Amino acid sequence: MFLLMLRQSFFRGRRRKLLATSTIILAASLITALMTISIDVGDKMSREMKSYGANLNLVPKSENLPLEIGGVDYNPLKGEVFLEEQDLGKMKEIFWHNNIAGYAPFLKVPAKLEGKGGAAVPIIGTYFSRLVKFAGNEEFRTGVREINPFWRVKGNWPDDSKTDEVLAGATLARKLGLKVGDRLTVRYALAPTQPEAVTVAGILSTGGAEESALVAPLALAQRIYGHTGKVQSVSVSALTVPEDRLSRKARHGADALDSLEYDRWYCTAYVSSIAHQLEEAIPSAAARPIWQVAASEGTVVNKIQLLMVVVTIAAFIASGLGISSLMVTTIMERSREIGLMKALGAADWEVYLLFLSESALVGLIGGLIGCGAGALLAQLIGLSIFGATVSFHLIVIPVNVVISILIALAGSLVPSRLITRLFPAEVLHGRK
Amino acid sequence: MLKIVLETVGLTKRFGNVTPLDGIDMQVREGEWVAIMGPSGSGKTTMLNILSCLDTLSEGQYILDGIDTSKVSEKERVVVRREKIGLVFQQFHLVPYLTALENVMLAQYYHGMIDRDDAIEVLNRVGLSHRYDHLPSQLSGGEQQRVCIARALINQPAIILADEPTGNLDEANEQIILDFFKELHAEGRTIVLVTHNPELAEFADRTVRLHHGKVVQHAA
Ligand SMILES: Nc1ncnc2c1ncn2[C@@H]1O[C@H](COP(=O)(O)OP(=O)(O)O)[C@@H](O)[C@H]1O
Ligand SMILES: [Mg+2]
Repeated sequence: MFLLMLRQSFFRGRRRKLLATSTIILAASLITALMTISIDVGDKMSREMKSYGANLNLVPKSENLPLEIGGVDYNPLKGEVFLEEQDLGKMKEIFWHNNIAGYAPFLKVPAKLEGKGGAAVPIIGTYFSRLVKFAGNEEFRTGVREINPFWRVKGNWPDDSKTDEVLAGATLARKLGLKVGDRLTVRYALAPTQPEAVTVAGILSTGGAEESALVAPLALAQRIYGHTGKVQSVSVSALTVPEDRLSRKARHGADALDSLEYDRWYCTAYVSSIAHQLEEAIPSAAARPIWQVAASEGTVVNKIQLLMVVVTIAAFIASGLGISSLMVTTIMERSREIGLMKALGAADWEVYLLFLSESALVGLIGGLIGCGAGALLAQLIGLSIFGATVSFHLIVIPVNVVISILIALAGSLVPSRLITRLFPAEVLHGRK
Repeated sequence: MLKIVLETVGLTKRFGNVTPLDGIDMQVREGEWVAIMGPSGSGKTTMLNILSCLDTLSEGQYILDGIDTSKVSEKERVVVRREKIGLVFQQFHLVPYLTALENVMLAQYYHGMIDRDDAIEVLNRVGLSHRYDHLPSQLSGGEQQRVCIARALINQPAIILADEPTGNLDEANEQIILDFFKELHAEGRTIVLVTHNPELAEFADRTVRLHHGKVVQHAA
């Protein structure tokens, strides 16, 4: 009988129930979307943060000696020791190779212009966007365009395979009046060598030191420098998990960890464990995490997740209030029915049960539809903010349905106290 | 002498400084049909609300089937209501989304046991054998009132209380309802019926006249 009543009464007041259901759908889809994203956000954000620069720097080991005194670098070997370009592919062979999102080698050459008063122009050689082979025959596209998506070029990006195109840094271009299409002749500044003719393919803005240099394909820089196959440093962009206690402990050196901690640290994509593994892969190199980037990634992810929690709670409260006011009108409108049930001998809880069950049903339906809508919303958000789809976790469904039912019940609980205060004598023989 | 089913002693009801009922003494014996009459505002509905345990009294005593209702808790009054009383309303008060049969079964449900055959039998008795599956909105006023009476009868209450049961009906239907009350009376049911229709009161064993909350006359 109860189920019969529930079934019959559920389809009454459809307009309001539709409203209530949509309220829940809205909240549930919002919560689903946020949950889906916030489960995924660590990874997505981490990828996103890569657009703000690399988080690891690879330099030759001997250059890693701290010889900076008062901000002046006294290391006599600075710029004179090199890494082998051919070793770099080994980075894609480490345990966390999938987390190496990209890298760009750098070789800075002191050079000057032929003509234009022989102005000194540093040339930075790097990969723009180059297909690199590793582990036999696997391929991987990498370079500054991959790890520094915020680099802007007016004109064209040079082709890595050509050795006669360069980018002119914006500051340098302004100083020397360089334009896209200009032809320049450059040569090594410290010894008389063969000059090279190059074309300015584009003007580069980075907000960094590159703006005062010519940025050239690595091969060109190596030729001018006379150091074939050498690089001075490599910027690596790795997907990492936020720092925590274990990784901070590991900063004092891997020896500070016991073997269990070491295993856990090694098998977690901390920036420090990835650095450690890079050094294992390329013994002549020292990998230095850029801590500001690594740390801010963690905080940003945490803050975003906190924001999601706050928004979820807000959605919860807002829809709870919506349900609540709908419930008040429902009870008002059905007061005669409630009075009648009581007059027929229904206890208060029996009336509660009917109304709360209806609410729970609304919550269930709204929650299920909301899950679907939220999953779509999450994809939309994912595509528009991160430019990637978000993977949907099944756990979201039960959690959401439970939350939706809770919202519906919580919203109904306060108004349903009206039921207790409703006297059948008043509603059944209302002043006629 | 037949058993007293319902007895009030000095029953008084106050709403603030309004006293719609002022010291009513009344007795109804088993099988009796008592009509309560009086002009509008004389306290008839208030009286019936108290008799049907939908409202509490301010002073005095009300004893129903041996239970002093002024001494029981709200919870127990709910029980008294569903065990002892069959209610017939002026406005029928059927649950709009339940069929005639389901409305009758609802009373069974709150009473404790659903018996579909029983419910059908009672509906047959009030002449609705062909309308079990109709919603109240598909029934005429008279038919709705008959469902209401069927619902009042279904649990074999000690007493049937009706507040102006024909107040919203036309004459033809009024006659049908009146015939039912006669039939019930002939069966030996105890009935208290509020009305301001003298024709209806005529068939009662006794009429209690209220005026300004006081009993002015017990007529035979
Ligand atoms: N809940 C209430 N609050 C205040 N006054 C009431 C209430 N119910 C009834 N009354 C007053 O009690 C008197 C009797 O009302 P009622 O029992 O409805 O009379 P009748 O049914 O005979 O027309 C009226 O004066 C009415 O205003
Ligand atoms: Mg009245």
